[in-house]
Amino acid sequence: MDILFGSIASGVLLGMVLSLVALGLTIIFGLMDIVNFAHGEFLMIGMYTGLLTAQATGIDPLFTLPLAAAIGFLLGILCYGGFIKFLLRGPMIAQLLGTFGLMLVLRNLALLFFGSEDRALHHGLLVGKSFDIGMGIIISATKLAVAVLAVLSFCGVWLLMNRTQLGKALTATALNRQGARYMGIPTERMNALAWGIGSATVTVAGALIVNFWSVNPYVGLVFTMIAFTVVALGGFGSVPGAFFAGLVVGFIMEIPGFWDFFAITFDIGWMADVPMTSFKYTWIYVAYFVIMMISPRGLFGWKQ
Amino acid sequence: MEAIKNALDFSDSPKIDQMVALAVFGLLLAFPLFPHSAFAMATMIQFLMFSLYGMGWNTIGGYGGQVDLGKAQYVGIGAYTTTVCLLRWDIPFWVSMPIGACLAIGWSFIIGYPLFKLKGHYFAIATIATSLVLKDLFEIWKFVGAARGLGILPFKYQTPDFLRLIFKEDIYYYYVIFAFFVIGLLYMNWFRKSRLGFQLRSIKDNEEVARSLGINVHWAKIKTYAIATAFVSVVGSFHAVYVKNIEPEDTMSLDISILIALMAMLGGAGSLWGPIIGAGVLIPLKSYLKEWLGAAAGLLGIDLIIYGLIIMIISAFEPRGLWGIVAKIRRRKHI
Repeated sequence: MDILFGSIASGVLLGMVLSLVALGLTIIFGLMDIVNFAHGEFLMIGMYTGLLTAQATGIDPLFTLPLAAAIGFLLGILCYGGFIKFLLRGPMIAQLLGTFGLMLVLRNLALLFFGSEDRALHHGLLVGKSFDIGMGIIISATKLAVAVLAVLSFCGVWLLMNRTQLGKALTATALNRQGARYMGIPTERMNALAWGIGSATVTVAGALIVNFWSVNPYVGLVFTMIAFTVVALGGFGSVPGAFFAGLVVGFIMEIPGFWDFFAITFDIGWMADVPMTSFKYTWIYVAYFVIMMISPRGLFGWKQ
Repeated sequence: MEAIKNALDFSDSPKIDQMVALAVFGLLLAFPLFPHSAFAMATMIQFLMFSLYGMGWNTIGGYGGQVDLGKAQYVGIGAYTTTVCLLRWDIPFWVSMPIGACLAIGWSFIIGYPLFKLKGHYFAIATIATSLVLKDLFEIWKFVGAARGLGILPFKYQTPDFLRLIFKEDIYYYYVIFAFFVIGLLYMNWFRKSRLGFQLRSIKDNEEVARSLGINVHWAKIKTYAIATAFVSVVGSFHAVYVKNIEPEDTMSLDISILIALMAMLGGAGSLWGPIIGAGVLIPLKSYLKEWLGAAAGLLGIDLIIYGLIIMIISAFEPRGLWGIVAKIRRRKHI
């Protein structure tokens, strides 16, 4: 039973962070129907920001979030103004490959500057501490803090999107660009802002994830795919959808844990022989495929 | 007979194109006779292989407008079938290549049927997902060597072995892939004028109209996807005997899929010469950048940075590729 409850707990905690990872993608997608392949690379930049700031200044990695958000915001605005703006005029294939080019550039810049080795945090206020809440569930303090901060950031963005004039303008642009322009909303600036917010959320998520995940320049791709899956599940462009979908994908990533639980509890030999941990990410791709087959517009579809 | 006549008929392209194409053909045919380095030879073989990959992608992605970013899985199927057949049962290349193509086409039908219910971005990401699932499977499948892959040991065979396609000198490989290249080009020339080719272009322009004209859109897409798959799988088989050491990471990774799509897009998707131009520019650029900047200067990844920047510039400012630039100049000068 320990494995089961442990897997559930860690699935929930991971899911909360994954929601934040996918939030930026869903905002950008909702506003301008562009798929950003470099999304995972923004996360990687956030991870390096958190790691390097923490190592250079000695402060706890959890307090590096404002810096990560600022860097992400600037990076997003820069990418939009310098590149994406031109890409939006072209056909879809150019958009896909263009953001892939951006991904190559960012990934290899990281490789050039930081080297290819894995880096992880080994110090910090909460690193290594954990608490036992009974029934065999041991929750590491870092993961809990990270999940809580992720949910707080998520709520922050949700409030921004729903309770402020700026957020209403963003939503209006997403729903009807032409109409929004007639109402005097500067849609071009809204696009840039969406890129800023989208990148800021994902770099914050990166700075959080680096607390329990080692970073190297190639870490981006798997997170890009995770984000695509979360966005597909939650409905392209839907913010609350992204939150619930993040939780579901967190559980999907814990499938190896559940598998072990069944194998051990019911003593099924062939199940124990399957190297399920190698399939950790495969389930995410399978989930994306299945979700798209069932409902091509995402499960909690938002825009038609 | 009609089909062969059609395939050999290039008369609808302008005179100057035919001249340039003939000159390039002559140069490619004579290339091994000139003094060249082994590196140049390897680059040329890569160029021919990626032209063929690009041609395959061009059928579905260029003429059909369906952005497929999962072609690497068929490279993997072709390459693995050939290697496994050779190592386990000593089946020669000319038998294992069609087997690989049949397996790949079978797999393409299985996943193509649900895939083509999707459109646009959703389709593109789903193709990536299927490709990555297959790669993950191959990485743990012990029968095909798991993550370490399989290696063909060339000294076990008496070279030159024309049945198994095991050679010591690259010149043999060059002419084999050159023959494939010519056949592929003639096939593409036939394809663009075929019934399916016209159906695809109408699907690309407007799917609703195509359907109302009585075209079975879903089936046309699946058929074309299978054609593209056959191209990619055959070249994948060649890749296996040429490189002689295959592993999931370098035959089935996302980078290969993207590279294949990029060839066609850079040259001009949906044109006959596009993939060849794209591969002709991109492959030498890629390998020489890597040779000069990556390996010689010791700057890790700088070749890929420049390469990525080129992709970004092309897709932002000339999304119809190099062929689009040529067409623009022509329209201006009325040649």
